[in-house]
Amino acid sequence: MRLQLVALLAAVAGVGVSIYLTAVHIAGIPPACPANAAINCEQVLSSAYGVVAGSAVPTSAAGILWFAVSAVLAAIVRLGHSAPVWSRLQLAWSAIGLVTVLFLVYLEIVRLGVVCVWCSVAHALVLLIFLIALPRQLEGRVDA
Amino acid sequence: MSRQPMSKHSRPMRKPVSRTPAWVPPVAVVAAIALVVAGFLLVRWYTTPQAAPPLTPNAAQLVVNSLAGLPAAELDSIGQGSASNLIKPVSGTPLTGPSGKPLVFYFGAEYCPYCGAERWPIIVALSRFGTFSGLATTSSSSTDIYPNTPTFTFHGSTFTSQYIDFQAVETTDRNQNLLETPTAAQQALVNQYDTSGSIPFVDLGNRFAFAGAMYLPDVLAGMSWEAVAGSLSQPDTTQAKAVIGSANLITAAVCRMTSDQPSSVCTSASIQAIEKKLG
Repeated sequence: MRLQLVALLAAVAGVGVSIYLTAVHIAGIPPACPANAAINCEQVLSSAYGVVAGSAVPTSAAGILWFAVSAVLAAIVRLGHSAPVWSRLQLAWSAIGLVTVLFLVYLEIVRLGVVCVWCSVAHALVLLIFLIALPRQLEGRVDA
Repeated sequence: MSRQPMSKHSRPMRKPVSRTPAWVPPVAVVAAIALVVAGFLLVRWYTTPQAAPPLTPNAAQLVVNSLAGLPAAELDSIGQGSASNLIKPVSGTPLTGPSGKPLVFYFGAEYCPYCGAERWPIIVALSRFGTFSGLATTSSSSTDIYPNTPTFTFHGSTFTSQYIDFQAVETTDRNQNLLETPTAAQQALVNQYDTSGSIPFVDLGNRFAFAGAMYLPDVLAGMSWEAVAGSLSQPDTTQAKAVIGSANLITAAVCRMTSDQPSSVCTSASIQAIEKKLG
């Protein structure tokens, strides 16, 4: 349950980071971020991948939604809803987030050649939430 | 599957179990992700274009001649192409060069990939008003974004024209070693009109100015100078739409500086249409 509190805090932090990235995207101002050969937040956020494909919606706006749902799931599990469905839902949701993160990291490294620090913070939070959701599904699992 | 009958008082027999240690799944996940990211880095490393050795002066001149000789009909057919119009009107004392003609001032650096991309349309556009000589080939930095973008350098080149003057400052080479220093007047232009500090910065006679590249340098990724020049002669290529579209935007701005001279360039339908967009 203590880990679920960590997941809840991570999700809230993720909402904050995503709101910041969405705000700077909409305002058209560069985020506070160093710029060099490997790191360039503005380059990433202003690229074609900075918006959800086929729309003007910033990718970070999807992050707000994902982290908000993650926060709700962590709160439900934290509050003692021990029904396995909630834990499984949390794991499935965080797995979706993790797969999305891997795709975004692929775009940053392979397609753009630069990394956005703020995005990486959000990615790390997704990974943390996934890792917290993971053990609950393995509790009690034994080798036959 | 048959079951063994159990006696009333005996406990059910279970096979001994072994629980997976709690630390194993998270560590396995992190390790797997690290491997995937390492794979991404490897792919990036393998697909990053290498810098081609610079062309000889004669070979470079052939490419420049090819750019200068692009048919007017093709340039007109592309219009703005896929280029982003970064040109903004500015107000200031009309900028003139040493010969008293309207001055185009370029400020950039050889390492900069955006400068590398924008030099192509600058050369295409200004070649319609005059003649470049001494342009040498180079590539943008191999360690910056859009590494090794094929381009030219204005360092050591000259431009002659009966309509405009052209001055260029390349502050550093592709390894960021100091190359040229702007004069006080040139630096004042940069300070006044390039408030974002972005390069390349181009001042078009203090009537228009822009900073940045009008298309992304990855359009040229992995190409030789000859291949870029070749693609520009085919109006349907991505390169032609980006480079010639940008060149037409610059051409239109220069035409506004020269009061639409020469008319053979400035009175074309596409240049006139772009001029109306410039404000």
